[in-house]
Amino acid sequence: MKNNLAERRTGRNWTQADLAAALGVSRQTVISIEREKFDPSLPLAFLIARTFDCAIEEIFTAD
Amino acid sequence: MSKVPFTSRRAPVHHYVLAVILGAILTIAVSVLVGVSNPGDFWLAAGIGALCSAYPAMSLGARVFVSNNTVTRDARGEQSVELQWMRQAGAGAFLDVLVATIVAVLVLVIGRFTVDALPVLLGLVVLSALDAGVRYLVIRYRALK
Repeated sequence: MKNNLAERRTGRNWTQADLAAALGVSRQTVISIEREKFDPSLPLAFLIARTFDCAIEEIFTAD
Repeated sequence: MSKVPFTSRRAPVHHYVLAVILGAILTIAVSVLVGVSNPGDFWLAAGIGALCSAYPAMSLGARVFVSNNTVTRDARGEQSVELQWMRQAGAGAFLDVLVATIVAVLVLVIGRFTVDALPVLLGLVVLSALDAGVRYLVIRYRALK
């Protein structure tokens, strides 16, 4: 899955550690999602969308 | 039993005492069992048994009586990438150990070699632990580089 998580995160001036803390996951998890090497679970995808006040499909798109 | 605030990260003192008592009981039980199974050298065998079992026994005591008060549960641990890495490493290590065991069995059967079971089993334990550890590090390195 492709995503624009890095752009959204930097748009808020958040570090990867900030986002990881907000999501309650490790920084490695955020790094892996941003590099599109790890597809988050559905609950985590919902949480990410809620964190950025948008819908899941605005962040994640199928390859 | 007193309740300790979840964030205090300290267990009541009697929990630590109970952990040590449970660990000591298990250590003594294992060492006596090992000693009895080697009657010719009871104290040496019992000592080795105690050395091998003390750490896991004390750890079990801490897990049962202390951890609930001192360890914060990772609410989203299931959703972290580390869990996926561990699963991948474990699955790969399992297949490696399976193949290694099959190859070893074939070599022993075809070559009609006779070996003690203990070193073979210890070798499998070391192989599986090392394999899973190395695989985890490689998967992690590839994901983060």
